Amino acid sequence: MKMDKLYIIHLDEQTQLACHKDQTLLENLEAHKVEVHFHCREGFCGACRTKLIEGQVEYITDPLAYIDDDEILPCCCKAKSDLKIKLS
Amino acid sequence: MKYTTFNQQSTNPLAEPMFFGNPVNVARYDQQKHQIFEKLIEKQISFFWRPEEVDVSKDRVDFQKLSEPEKHIFISNLKYQTLLDSVQGRSPNIAFLPIVSLPELETWIETWSFFETIHSRSYTHILRNLFADPSEVFEDIVLNEEIKRRATDISRYYDDLIFATQLWQTQGEGVHQVDGQSYTVNLRELKKKMFLCMNSVNALEAVRFYVSFACTFAFAERELMEGNSKIIRLIARDENLHLSSTQHILNLWAKGKDDPEMAEIAEECREEARDIFLNAVEQEKQWAAYLFQHGSMIGLNKDILCQYVEYIANHRMAAIGMDTPFEVKSNPLPWMNNYLNSDNVQVAPQESEISSYLVGQIDSEVSVDDFGDFDL
Repeated sequence: MKMDKLYIIHLDEQTQLACHKDQTLLENLEAHKVEVHFHCREGFCGACRTKLIEGQVEYITDPLAYIDDDEILPCCCKAKSDLKIKLS
Repeated sequence: MKYTTFNQQSTNPLAEPMFFGNPVNVARYDQQKHQIFEKLIEKQISFFWRPEEVDVSKDRVDFQKLSEPEKHIFISNLKYQTLLDSVQGRSPNIAFLPIVSLPELETWIETWSFFETIHSRSYTHILRNLFADPSEVFEDIVLNEEIKRRATDISRYYDDLIFATQLWQTQGEGVHQVDGQSYTVNLRELKKKMFLCMNSVNALEAVRFYVSFACTFAFAERELMEGNSKIIRLIARDENLHLSSTQHILNLWAKGKDDPEMAEIAEECREEARDIFLNAVEQEKQWAAYLFQHGSMIGLNKDILCQYVEYIANHRMAAIGMDTPFEVKSNPLPWMNNYLNSDNVQVAPQESEISSYLVGQIDSEVSVDDFGDFDL
């Protein structure tokens, strides 16, 4: 695996997770056994709503659920940079 | 303001508020003030399904094998859901359409309500399979005290808004006497009723279904009543989408992105809205107690169910900018997610009848002429 396909998610001061750019954020978090609330996995229910503190993501499906300006839907986005997030 | 089915005044639908502006005239979707409703319509239509596509015949055998407490749980939940969708199949249309001002939102409301009628039809489909004559079940819905208590709370805010709208549209603002009672009608009061009604609908879509969903999926975990579970999965997927729309409406108001007066009302009625939500949560917990009064079922009891309601409520209150009043931090019923995941709605065709295909994609008409150039 080339390094440019990897990125890091900072969950808090202590926890850093190495993640794959070609998987969704939710898939990455699940691979690290982080419990994230989810239902539809398609961006319309909003169950996985998460705060994005730093970094950029791009959506693979247009999110239909309501999210605030500083929030993302991990089920349907991929990271474009290292991320700092806060799970609800 | 009198309602008109085709407002002949030129209006600019990009400048109208969601509700209480000018009545909609041209049903046009090339431009939208709030794009999200157009997207929700498209998504909802792509979810189209028919109850008859799901084979529930095996459920009849399973049902006979259930214990008496389990039968009580199963049938009571169906009654409650029938009530919920009876209300939801008509009320958004009657309450919101006379006051809506955006074409895309008008059509979203109609699409939303229409899908609730599919849900109602599916309960008949399920019950007709279980009983030769399901009348007794349907008739109990208006007699059962537990269900009636919930019906009162669910329909109250709708009825209030509908009545005030009727007075406003026929008599205008002012104090009106109806059957010896006087009613003060003005736009501000109407908007308040609208706000509370939308909060009540949001709470309904957010938590009211989930106790019965959990029971249905707990049966399915034991490979029982799987036809029913497949139908409920389709319903749950639709309800998640409906919830998304009410969350959007409430947040557009609260953040001042629509009618500025609604932002003030959202602030003013914050506590009342929170109480509506908490009351729905409380009623769901009482419902769980009623379901398990004769005994619980494998894999589920009243306490876990109540925790799940609290867990769901926390998330859904946060989504509309409320606090999260409950302690539950992790999901007490993690297997529920497998049933609420929209990917799992689609199943392998050899395993059952598929419901996730496109309808009307193939022309199956064959005429004699089609064989004209065949030589034997």
